[in-house]
Amino acid sequence: MKAKHYSWNATAAGYLFIAPLLAVMVVFFAYGFYFLVRTGFQSTDISFHTPKYIGWDNYRLLLVDSRFFHSILNTIVFAVVSVIIGLTFGFVASIFLQFKLPGKKLFHSILFLPTIMPMALIATVIAMMLESRFGTLNTFLRFIGLDFLALQWLSDPNLAYGSIMVMSIFLIGLPIMYYVSEFPTLNTSVLEAAVLDGAGLGRMLTLILFPMLRNTHKTVILSILLGSFREFERIFLLTGGGPMNSTEIVSTYVFRQQNGGMEMGIMSAASVIVLLVAFILALLQIRFTTMKK
Amino acid sequence: MDMFLVSKGEKRTIRWVIYGLGLLFLFPIVSAIYNSLKYEGFENYIFVFTHKINGISVLSTFWNSLQIAVGHAFFVLLVGSLAGYAFSKIEFAGKEIVYIGVLMCLAIPLVVMIVPFFYIFQNLGLYNHLLAVVCSEVAMTLPFAVLFFRNFYDSLPKELMESATIDGANVFQAFSKVYLPLARSALINLGVLCVMWSFQDFLAPLMFLTDKDLATTNVAINNLKGAFGLSPGNVGKFNAFLVVLGIPALVLFLVAQKFITQGITSGALKD
Repeated sequence: MKAKHYSWNATAAGYLFIAPLLAVMVVFFAYGFYFLVRTGFQSTDISFHTPKYIGWDNYRLLLVDSRFFHSILNTIVFAVVSVIIGLTFGFVASIFLQFKLPGKKLFHSILFLPTIMPMALIATVIAMMLESRFGTLNTFLRFIGLDFLALQWLSDPNLAYGSIMVMSIFLIGLPIMYYVSEFPTLNTSVLEAAVLDGAGLGRMLTLILFPMLRNTHKTVILSILLGSFREFERIFLLTGGGPMNSTEIVSTYVFRQQNGGMEMGIMSAASVIVLLVAFILALLQIRFTTMKK
Repeated sequence: MDMFLVSKGEKRTIRWVIYGLGLLFLFPIVSAIYNSLKYEGFENYIFVFTHKINGISVLSTFWNSLQIAVGHAFFVLLVGSLAGYAFSKIEFAGKEIVYIGVLMCLAIPLVVMIVPFFYIFQNLGLYNHLLAVVCSEVAMTLPFAVLFFRNFYDSLPKELMESATIDGANVFQAFSKVYLPLARSALINLGVLCVMWSFQDFLAPLMFLTDKDLATTNVAINNLKGAFGLSPGNVGKFNAFLVVLGIPALVLFLVAQKFITQGITSGALKD
């Protein structure tokens, strides 16, 4: 790469344009990172009055904290399940919406609705529905005679995380949006040829369309990874991380350390680890968006 | 038009899958509305507007949420469009390094920034002020906005800049007279997304606003359980509150679905 020559005027103008942005970045992120890194090496409570430097001790404690380890594992499982749901349900629904059906537009909107609504609202409505004694789901199941299926969806430690993850089905609006926006660019003659060769619906989906949408899958995967990594209120409002920490993810772990925990050093150390993962995800996203151009 | 030719049986499968999914998606909504009419019928809705949840009035949460959303959108569009333009059209020293530095903040979850932000707001005297929520949302959205606007301005031809310069315009005039007017649709799309993200934001208002008069709709939702518990007798009122608190997001959905889709699929992605 050859060195570019920058004129003084252009450089001054450039920095003038980005000055407000830089102010926000420095005040909130640069200072925020400094704050977390510094506190990560300290032992201090929420008052921050008498911080004590303790080196890497917080990180050592985190590494042996099974709850933290468990929360990371849960976050990964959560992300993988959400991605799978997006790539299957989202993919199939987006294609099925390309067929002439009465009320198609309405159903398209309905599938998109939960994506726009606040997660806090959806989580609370679902929590009401899944309540074991008088929630709508169990009332309904008992009504049609399936009493044995009326389970403790959110209070049974073995079931709670599954219930929460299945909720991702309600969030296929985003994958659908990405897939649908890609369809106009598809080569229709390939589809016609495949139909002429006798490919049925199942084969069209799995052997023709799924490979054709390879690049869109990447967008979907990345967007769901980002969303899962930032997920908080779904867990917070449905189970609060319980029962018995079975639904704890990294964000609820950090939140609990902030509010219940006395030790801000450990919270900060955990936050620094989360930040490092966030930087990796951002790098993936940067590479992906620049590659697409 | 069908995407490709399918048999009658397959068409039936398609119909069942879409209608089935639709019903599944409607189930929670219908369930909430049905439950909201329990015991006292429509009286529950009158109760929602005449009583407070834990000292929070529903109408004031609408007003607070709206103010935060508008503030969030305004500052993101202002700061983001200026910066995106500079990153796209001005050649200045250190540009790419600063750009990458900003984008590195794309994936940060707000939850890890709560404590640092809390200290910043206390020092700025913004704690317990709607501006605290506006600031934290603006900070969290800006990296995306910069990516969004740079991509947008990159898609506009460079010749525009050249012809503007030949006509005697400097970079500032080229921005305000040529590029900004062309960015109208991008501004609308991102503005609507900002409002949507504001309406979805849960943590910032929960942590930075303890004054009940400043509560947003999502803070009110969080307070519902505490106010009613999940006892059967209160199911009607509880659900009536839920239905009413969903109205702002629903209105946004009905009015601006198109802009949200355009904004999200326009090349840059958030979550």
